[in-house]
Amino acid sequence: MKTTASLLIAALALPAYAQQTLKTTERISFEPTYTQIASGKWTGKRLPDGQPDVEGHWSNTVGNHNNWTDPQGGIPGDPAPPRKPLGPREERAPSRVTDPVDGQVPFQPWAKAAQEDFLKNFHNPTQPQYIEPLARCAPAGVPKSLIWHGYEIRQYPGYVVFLFNSGTRIIHLDGKPHLPANIKLWNADSRGHWEGNTLVVDVTNNNSKALFGRTGEFASENVHITERYIFSPDGQRYNYVATFDDPSVYTRKWTATIPAKRRTGKDAVDGWHYEVALNKSGNQTVIERDERISTENNIGFGHVAVTPSAR
Amino acid sequence: MTRKLLAFALLAFVASHTFAADKIPRLSNGKPDFSGIWQTTSAADYDLEPHAARQDAPPGAGIVAGNVIPYLPAALEQKKKNFANRAKDDPALKGWTLGVPRGIYYPEPFQIFQRQRDLTLVHQFGHSVRTIHTNGTPHPGGDRNQFWLGDSRGKWEGDTLVVDVADFNDETWLDRAGNYHSEAFHVVERWKYLDANTIEYTARLEDKEVYSKPWDISVILHRHREKNFQLIEDYRFTLDYEQHYPPKPPVAK
Repeated sequence: MKTTASLLIAALALPAYAQQTLKTTERISFEPTYTQIASGKWTGKRLPDGQPDVEGHWSNTVGNHNNWTDPQGGIPGDPAPPRKPLGPREERAPSRVTDPVDGQVPFQPWAKAAQEDFLKNFHNPTQPQYIEPLARCAPAGVPKSLIWHGYEIRQYPGYVVFLFNSGTRIIHLDGKPHLPANIKLWNADSRGHWEGNTLVVDVTNNNSKALFGRTGEFASENVHITERYIFSPDGQRYNYVATFDDPSVYTRKWTATIPAKRRTGKDAVDGWHYEVALNKSGNQTVIERDERISTENNIGFGHVAVTPSAR
Repeated sequence: MTRKLLAFALLAFVASHTFAADKIPRLSNGKPDFSGIWQTTSAADYDLEPHAARQDAPPGAGIVAGNVIPYLPAALEQKKKNFANRAKDDPALKGWTLGVPRGIYYPEPFQIFQRQRDLTLVHQFGHSVRTIHTNGTPHPGGDRNQFWLGDSRGKWEGDTLVVDVADFNDETWLDRAGNYHSEAFHVVERWKYLDANTIEYTARLEDKEVYSKPWDISVILHRHREKNFQLIEDYRFTLDYEQHYPPKPPVAK
């Protein structure tokens, strides 16, 4: 049975020919600032069907799902905090909540209390609702999938497909109606279209069970998310700018921003942002993505506690 | 009258077969394009071998060439144990990835997305993702040698996609009847259009640890053509705990 950990080892233990061209590192790095990208025309490469070509490997640049509003601030209350104490807040990447300006999700009082209750119990969960769903190997859902490891985008006529570390999103570009409202899904239901350099996606049918991160921010199954993936002209970065509308949880609409960067063969394999392996076609090296969703989800308690093999 | 009908039927038959090869969807490089949502109508997943109706399965003539899977004696004993315990031991009951070839004939749809370099199969059941590489790359082997869905490398023989699948783990079953394989499992699939909406899928299954010789299966896959049809993720392995999320507002008293 293969786990994320062994996949990482597998990625690092490359055949000799691959080591010549693919660097590896154990350092997972993040950036302290967001890059601004304006909406506008797409001047880059296009696929034969006319879509901007954004295929390839991507990862967010500011942090994992430890903390939704202070992406580099660690998990509050962590009994094993990093050895180096955190500096002032302004030295770290700003909140992913870019509207309102205070960087906080505008929760209704009951929802704020529920988020704080989750966080308070996160480090020592005594009830099932305090166990992070991703630790049970549930899909990371929308939007957490975008801050949980790197991922691959593949494009086809009528579709943009996101292959995440834990989950898959098929974004339909053909304008078909959403699924009936009573069907709720971990990866939600997505309808998209391109506006210049921006992929605009209407997201409904979200079961919202994945939560946003270890700090416990959440939406309900009524949430309506409008996503804008704004790609830079050189195709190397994009910003995810999404409005969250859910009158059953929030006092107003709010906006999340998640910056992301393309990863290529020039980047070092770090087992997080960039989890790929090399193969060979003739003399050409080919970057591949090993199966992931099944290996993660099939294990009883995921990569947190691996089910021992019977053999 | 009968003769006229027969002639018409014959003409229709000849016409459909003459034009079938020309009418299948193709990529810009001329290779058949299997993009679409596919599903079998066969009862193969209940039991690959011929079986009469029973409590937990409709009858089926099976899809094994020669009807009987050529188990080695010890493996046949294991298969019988699996069959006896199928109501609790079938990995599919836990919602786990079905594997290859079971995901193909499991009675839920899967979608093929195709580029020149590969085919991506997304199975509704478990939302499992499988890539079939068609860019001349070999099985990686080495440390990357154990996958739920195996490692798939395809090549074209005319209009037939021939896929060599190796590097399996031994966690999956082949059906609900307990037919199984070991890590030595090796599958060679052949994907071929019969017409623009029908694929003939055959596979040769080989496993020196479990079977005395290779054996063959064959099913027909039909294209879903219902208006607005789409996959609906089936993550049933989350059902045991998903009621705990997300937090709910306090109930008014």
